[in-house]
Amino acid sequence: MHYQFAYQTSRIIILLLISLQVMAAPQRRVVENPNIKMVVIPRTAEQMAAFYEGREFPSKATDATRDACFFTIGIHNKTKNILWLNTANWSITTKTGSIPLLSREHWAQRWKKLNLQQRFQSTFRWTLLPNMLDFQVDEHEGGNITLPRTKLPFTLTAHFATHRDKSGEPINISFKDLRCAEEIQ
Amino acid sequence: MKKTFIFLLLFSASLTVMAGTPKGIIKVTPRIAPPLSLMNMDGEQFTLSTNKQRWHFVHFWASWCGPCRREMPTIQRLINDMAKDNIGFVIVNTAESDDTIFGFLGGVAPDIDTLLDKDGLTTELWKPRGLPSTYLVDPQGQIQYVVIGGQDWHKSKYQHFLRQLSKDKN
Repeated sequence: MHYQFAYQTSRIIILLLISLQVMAAPQRRVVENPNIKMVVIPRTAEQMAAFYEGREFPSKATDATRDACFFTIGIHNKTKNILWLNTANWSITTKTGSIPLLSREHWAQRWKKLNLQQRFQSTFRWTLLPNMLDFQVDEHEGGNITLPRTKLPFTLTAHFATHRDKSGEPINISFKDLRCAEEIQ
Repeated sequence: MKKTFIFLLLFSASLTVMAGTPKGIIKVTPRIAPPLSLMNMDGEQFTLSTNKQRWHFVHFWASWCGPCRREMPTIQRLINDMAKDNIGFVIVNTAESDDTIFGFLGGVAPDIDTLLDKDGLTTELWKPRGLPSTYLVDPQGQIQYVVIGGQDWHKSKYQHFLRQLSKDKN
């Protein structure tokens, strides 16, 4: 009897913990229309540090990633023509102003200061979303974008030119009320 | 008359290749392939040569990329199936350690012999759109096709296309 009670209690606690994890899990956001599918997944600092640690990055580098807020972006060109990605045309705005994306140059400087081995720098670059890309018809590509950590909610607006000569109807996608993913303490 | 016949033959051959381009393989404006000279897992040097009179399938990958995990077994099967065809397979790992590569390939494609781009700089020269990325390089050393994303290389449409290319030495 005592055993059964303990078993039931532990089951409740486990379920409660799981539901808390689910509640706190970063929300995957998707915008899809006939021309584009765009996915935004907030990543926690722990998730990113664990990812790079798993690729044998030294702790000085994984620690550096904790300062940034990571989002994994997926883009699928569903138009019948070229879709132009240029993250210079993206904006991140809070109620108090705009936040610039952390550039590849920012990270290059950071790694240089840490004297990070070339192979880790290369892997890190490949995990970032390209700055510019001419998405072919039906092409899917993705990668991470990074920004300074903030507790404020923000809106990510992504602007894409279309057609080979960029003369097509532009596509604007907005993700409102995004937040940097936080760990459960 | 003979010239007309040859022209028609070449024209129909090129149409066959164009019509049969499977999904994900994109014809690009030909450009000289960047240099590629790397060691394999046994420490043997490989240099992509342009005088081998054959096409090359040049593929860049990393263990952390999800599509690479799905695609690599199909590449192994493609290599096995096309062992007698006149096409070279050049598989390049981007910037990972021997242990990571051994662990990964051992699980998904143990027969693949990959080259090691230890610092990632060769991959940078080729400017892939992302990982995985595949290029089809003609016997003159020009990139003729770029393959977007991971593909099911074991499927007959891809093998048929590559077999057609492998017969073309020009």
